[in-house]
Amino acid sequence: MVFSTPLFMFYFLALTLLVYYLVPRKLRNLVVLCSSLFFYYWGEREYVIIMFLSTAIDFTHGLMVEHFKKKDNDKAARRVVAASIIFNLALLGYFKYWDFLAASLQSIGLDFMPVLGIHLPIGISFYTFQTMSYTIDVYRGDARAQRSILNFGTFVTLFPQLIAGPIIKYKDLGDQIDQRTTNADKFSSGVQIFMVGLGKKLLLANNVGMLWDSYKAMALTELTVAGSWLGVIAFSLQLYFDFSGYSDMAVGLGRMLGFEFLPNFNYPYISKSITEFWRRWHISLSTWFREYLYIPLGGNRCSKSRWMFNLFVVWAATGIWHGASWNYLIWGLYFFVLLMIEKFFLLDKLQKAPALVAHLYTLFFVAISWAIFALEDFSHMAGYLKVMFGLGGVPLTDSAFGYYLTSYLPILLIAGAASTPLGAKVYRGLKPRAQQVVCTLLVIAGLLVCTAYVVASTYNPFLYFRF
Amino acid sequence: MSHKFNRFLSALFCIFLGGMLVLSTVLPDKEFSPMENRYLAKPPKLSVQSLSEGTFMSEAEKYVSDHLAGRDLWVSLKTWCERLSGKQENNGVYFGSRDTLLTRVDAPDPEKLAQDMLSVDKLVSNVDVPVWFGLIPSSAAVWSDRLPKGAPTLDEFPLIQQLYSQTAAQTIDFSSALSAHADEDIYYRTDHHWTSLGAFYGANALFEAMELDPLDLNDFEKTTVTEDFNGTTFSTSGVRWVKPDAIDTYVPEDGIKVTNNFDGTFTPGSLYVPEHLEQKDKYKFFLGGNQPLCIIETEHTDAPKVLVIRDSYSDSLAPFLTQRFSQIHLFDLRYNLNSVQKYVEENDIDQVVVLYSLNNFLTDSHLKQLGR
Repeated sequence: MVFSTPLFMFYFLALTLLVYYLVPRKLRNLVVLCSSLFFYYWGEREYVIIMFLSTAIDFTHGLMVEHFKKKDNDKAARRVVAASIIFNLALLGYFKYWDFLAASLQSIGLDFMPVLGIHLPIGISFYTFQTMSYTIDVYRGDARAQRSILNFGTFVTLFPQLIAGPIIKYKDLGDQIDQRTTNADKFSSGVQIFMVGLGKKLLLANNVGMLWDSYKAMALTELTVAGSWLGVIAFSLQLYFDFSGYSDMAVGLGRMLGFEFLPNFNYPYISKSITEFWRRWHISLSTWFREYLYIPLGGNRCSKSRWMFNLFVVWAATGIWHGASWNYLIWGLYFFVLLMIEKFFLLDKLQKAPALVAHLYTLFFVAISWAIFALEDFSHMAGYLKVMFGLGGVPLTDSAFGYYLTSYLPILLIAGAASTPLGAKVYRGLKPRAQQVVCTLLVIAGLLVCTAYVVASTYNPFLYFRF
Repeated sequence: MSHKFNRFLSALFCIFLGGMLVLSTVLPDKEFSPMENRYLAKPPKLSVQSLSEGTFMSEAEKYVSDHLAGRDLWVSLKTWCERLSGKQENNGVYFGSRDTLLTRVDAPDPEKLAQDMLSVDKLVSNVDVPVWFGLIPSSAAVWSDRLPKGAPTLDEFPLIQQLYSQTAAQTIDFSSALSAHADEDIYYRTDHHWTSLGAFYGANALFEAMELDPLDLNDFEKTTVTEDFNGTTFSTSGVRWVKPDAIDTYVPEDGIKVTNNFDGTFTPGSLYVPEHLEQKDKYKFFLGGNQPLCIIETEHTDAPKVLVIRDSYSDSLAPFLTQRFSQIHLFDLRYNLNSVQKYVEENDIDQVVVLYSLNNFLTDSHLKQLGR
C-alpha cells in the first residue's frame, strides 16, 4: 500500500487511527502490529512470511545474546550476533542480489548461478537493516532484549516506516515500543509533518518527476544540452522530495501513533560540500553504516591505508544498497572518490571559498551523481553525461526546451525554494496567532489539493520501491 | 502552539479523513462515469484465489478510487491546480488557444509501422480492385498554431508524406485538404475527431483522389443537433473551463438504408442516432458508434461500392460518401476478424479505402489483419 492513495488515506489510516484510539492502551501495540501486517500483506501477500520469520529469528537471537552476556560468555554471544547478521544478510542477498549476481556472472560466461526471477519484497532493504541493528544493540548493551514477541513484531513491522524508511535503530525505538505517550500536541504535530510530506510527494516530486520522465524517455539525439540539465535538475528535485516526503509522512504517522522517529533529511541541497551533503541526506542510512559498518571496521583510528579501505567498503555498500545494478555501485564509489578528495585537501579550500562557489560545486557534483543514479543503462548514461557536457553533438537548446521550461518554471522555483529552510524560517518568525492561522490554512489547502492529486493521479510510482 | 489549537488541528484532520470515509461508503455507487466515459469498478470479490493472486487488492484499490466521494470534483480541482502552476498540458492533452484541447501524438514504433505498411501492401496485392490509403492528421498538426509554444508533438505531415511514398496503394491527400481550411471549425475543440465540416473537406479529398465529382457545401443545409458536446480530450484532460462543442450535420438521411452489425446479427440502423445526443459520448450520434461492420446503401445504385477499413473518423465521413457510392461498407479490423480479401470478393466491392487517423494508425494493433 502506498501512502498517497485513497485506500491508504481514507480507509486504512482512518480506520487504524480509530481503532488505535478506541482500544485500551495495553492493546495498542497489537493494533499497530495487526494493521502493519495487513499493510504489508496487502502489497506483498505471501512474502509477509518473511516478516514472521524475521521477527521470530531476531527475537530469539536477541534473547540468546542477552542470556550469554549475563553468563559472561562473550564468545557465544558474538556467535549469536554473527548468526543473526548472516541470516539477515542472506535474506537480503537472496531476494535483492541473487539475480543481479547471476546475470552479471552469466554475462562473463559463468553460468553456475541460474537467474531465478526473484521478486524483490518491498522494504526488505529497510527492515533487514533494522532487525540487524537489534541484536547488535543488545550485544553492545545499547538496548535491552525485548521480552515480548508482540512488541518486537511491532518494531519490525511498524507500517509508517516499513516500506521506505527511515531506518530506525532498535536502541532509538525500543523504549517507545514498551511505553509511549499520545496526546493532541503530538498528534497535531504529526498531522503537520504528514501534510508536509504528502505535499512534497504529490505536489512537488510527482510534478517535477513528469518533467524528468519526458527527458529520460528522449533518444540521445533528441536531447539538448540545456534540456539534459533541466532533466537532471528535475530528477534531483524529484528524488529529494519523493524520498524526504515519504520520510516526513513516516515521521508524521509515527507521531500520530505516539512514536518519535529521528529526522532523515536536513535540507541536503544547501550543503557547501559533499561531506556536508552526506550529513544531511538520508541521515538514517549514513548513521547506520557509520555505526554498524564503518566504526566496527576500525573507522579512522587506524593507518591511513586501512582508513581509506574502510571508507571504500562503506561507499561501495552504500551504493549497492540503493539497488542491485552496477550503476548504483559506480554512484557509491563516485562519492567515495569525491569524499577522499575533500578529506585530503578540498574541504579546507571550500571552507575558505565564497559560499556561492561551495554551493555550486556541491550541487554540480550531486547533479552529476543523480544522472549516474537514474540511468541504469550504461550506454544511455554515458551518452546523457556527454550531452550534459556539450559533447553529444546536439544543439544547445530547442523549442521543446522552451516549452518545458515555461511549463515547469513555477513548480521548479517553488521546489527550489522548498529545498531551503527559508519557508520554515519565515513561519517560525510569525507570531503564535499568525502561525495558527497560516498552519490551519495550509493544512486545509493541503488536504484539499492533495486529495485532488491523490484521486486524479494514477501517476504514482514510488522511486524507492526498488531499494 | 497551544494545546487548544492542537486539539482543533487534530480534529480537523480526523474529521476530514473520517468524513471522506463515511461519505464514500454511504453515498450510493455510481455505475458509470460520464466524465471519464467508462464503467466504474465493481466491488471486489473476496475469495482465497483473489487474495492469493492479489486481484482482490488491485480491484479494491480501483474500487475505492473510483467511488471516492466527489471524484469528478477532485479531478477538476487537480486540473485547475495544474493550470495555475503554469502547466500547459494534463494527461497528454495540451491546453491550446481558442478553447481548444489538443492531443499530443507520440513518435511511432518504427518496427510496428514498417510491419503495418507491409500489411497495407499485402492488401493491395490480395485484391483485384483499387486500394486507396488515407491518413488523417490530428488537430494538433493542422491547428499547430493553437498549441502552446514549442509543445512537443509528432511532426505529422512529413511522416504521412513518407508513408505515402512507400505504399503500393493510391493515396488521399487529407493533409493539404484540411490545412487549406485550418481557420474553420474542422476539428472539435474538445474531442479528437474531425467535425462534419472537416469530414466534408476530407470527403472531397477522397473524391478528388478517385476522380469523382466533388461536393459543393452550398448544396447542403447545416443543422446543429447539439451545442453541448464535451468529447474525449475534455474527458482525458480533466479540463473543465472550455466551452462545449456543437455537432452539425449536412447530409439528410432520405433514401439511405443503414444496416448495423454490432454483435454478429444485422439490425436496421440510421446515419444519425439522436439517442446518443442525450449521453456523454455524443460522437456516437454518427452511425451509433464503433461496430465490426456497418453497411450503408444509397439510391445511387449505379455508383461504385466502396469498402472502408475504418476507425471512428469514418462515422462522420460516411454521410458525405453516400453522395457518390451505391454501397458503403465500414469494416472495423478491431472487432471484425474476417478476411478483408474474402469480403471484397463476396460483396463485389469496387474500391477499397484504408482510412485512419494518423494517431490511430500508429497505435492500432490490428492492422496486420489487413493482409488476411
